[in-house]
Amino acid sequence: MLERIGRALRERLRDLFYGLGFFANLVKESILFFRRRQVGFRVLVMQILFTGYEALRISAVLAMAIGVAINLIGSSLLAGFGQGKLMYTLLIIVVTRELGPLLTAFIVTARSGTAIATELGGMVVAHEIEAYVAVGVNPISYLAAPRFLGVVVSMLVLTVYFNVFGLFGSFAVMQVLRPVGFQEYMRNLVEVLTVGDLLSGLAKSLIFGVIVSTVSIYRGFAVERASTEVPVAGIKAVGSSFVLIVLADAAVTAVQYLG
Amino acid sequence: MENAPVIELRGVSATRLGYEVLKDISFSLADGETSVFMGGAGSGKSSLLKTAAGVSIPDGGKVLFRGRDLAAMSRAEELEFHRLSGFVFQDAALWANQSLFDNLALPCRFHDPRLSKAEVERAVRRAAEIVGYRDELSSRPAELSSGERRLIGLARALVLDPELLFMDEPASYLDEESADRVYDIIAQLRARRRTIAVVSGSSDIAYRFADALGVLKEGRLLAFGPYAEAVAWSDPSLRSATGRLRARKKAAEGDAALIEAWAEALASAPDPEPRGSPPGPEPGGGAAGRAGDGSPGGGAGGRDGEAKDEEDA
Repeated sequence: MLERIGRALRERLRDLFYGLGFFANLVKESILFFRRRQVGFRVLVMQILFTGYEALRISAVLAMAIGVAINLIGSSLLAGFGQGKLMYTLLIIVVTRELGPLLTAFIVTARSGTAIATELGGMVVAHEIEAYVAVGVNPISYLAAPRFLGVVVSMLVLTVYFNVFGLFGSFAVMQVLRPVGFQEYMRNLVEVLTVGDLLSGLAKSLIFGVIVSTVSIYRGFAVERASTEVPVAGIKAVGSSFVLIVLADAAVTAVQYLG
Repeated sequence: MENAPVIELRGVSATRLGYEVLKDISFSLADGETSVFMGGAGSGKSSLLKTAAGVSIPDGGKVLFRGRDLAAMSRAEELEFHRLSGFVFQDAALWANQSLFDNLALPCRFHDPRLSKAEVERAVRRAAEIVGYRDELSSRPAELSSGERRLIGLARALVLDPELLFMDEPASYLDEESADRVYDIIAQLRARRRTIAVVSGSSDIAYRFADALGVLKEGRLLAFGPYAEAVAWSDPSLRSATGRLRARKKAAEGDAALIEAWAEALASAPDPEPRGSPPGPEPGGGAAGRAGDGSPGGGAGGRDGEAKDEEDA
């Protein structure tokens, strides 16, 4: 019994160290990406197009819906306490600090995380990764680094985009309930917005981008030989990413409020 | 390191998914020679080739390229090794999300980013022409038949005109015409003194081209040596490979005798167009006719007649 527990623990530790080594290698290759032979540049552009550009519409719809919902809930709730002005603080906290990065990360995980894991997994099964190695191309440098960079850059841009549309959705619903001028609306927002709010949102989106891309790439490369492993890799990429994102979100929030 | 073998494996072992696929394997590939490795399914042929080509990393032992350990090479040396070598995959392993043109162009662009578009295109067209592919290169691999994919896979391995070529079952599952073309290409590469390592489950390639022969079973290299000696190996564990080679040799000798008899009959017959030709290969043989089996003009796809005759003698 003890032996079995010990063996399981050893395997877990080995996997953990392998994962950390993989992450370190990925970060190193991503830093060196722009100095390497640039056949991977196209992969980076395609990744930004897919993860960032093609997700603009769904992000906009979701962000506006969230902005509208927060405004509707906030205005009825806060008005009851005579704290209508807190609506702007609520918007900044919920949209910029919390939901902006979090929901963007969920969108990116659902779209790009699964795509990356299954695409790479499929390539492993079809021996395409080995074909890159045979040519001399480092798969981490050519396949993983541009995906990593593409997802991280897209996450940052999409988070800002989400915030803009979230706040715009709130503004739009205000025009129906309690019309406010655009300048006044912006002035009220800027009054309660702090540098910490902006940095917190951006830090979260950066961390979430790193999590989604690393986990998805790792899961994709972890496929060994059967095509039946490919969808499993996609599912695991989503599951692991969601868990790690939520834990990271809690950790960053704790540091921000308790630190 | 000038006299070092092109590739040398020293005590190589490898484990995949918990199974030991290579066990303490040692051999070397000599410059300009064609070495063929035979063995049944699951004997470790593909693993051996991938390990020798630096595609898979061994768990134990060393793989040396001209005396330098692949594992200890700098990135620049590693790139040089891959530029000088080509690998033909059993299932082509083309990059599905790229056009055929890009599949062939990537090695050129990667190893020499200074090449102009026209130079890359020239290299790509030449490689496609070598394997006899003349259709549109803008298609994706999924649009091709499996045989065509295999040929494009071969073209990708040849696009940089490698000095060292690794081929995993290069002619299996190909139609006869495509297989003949593959044999032609191997023959041309041999004529240009390229070093070739081929793994094959069939004796066909070994019989046609092998300078050296290796036999694998359950991850062990049971024997490795010059082809002339290999045909005479009588160990029961090697019989499945060498027996087929001996049978081919005998059949070839039989064919030669038949052709000789036919030629004599032609010479003595008054009718210039005799009916009822005896069975056997047609005179003038196909492009890939067995050279050395006595069929006139059958040299394009096999070891050349003289060399084989000497060996047979």
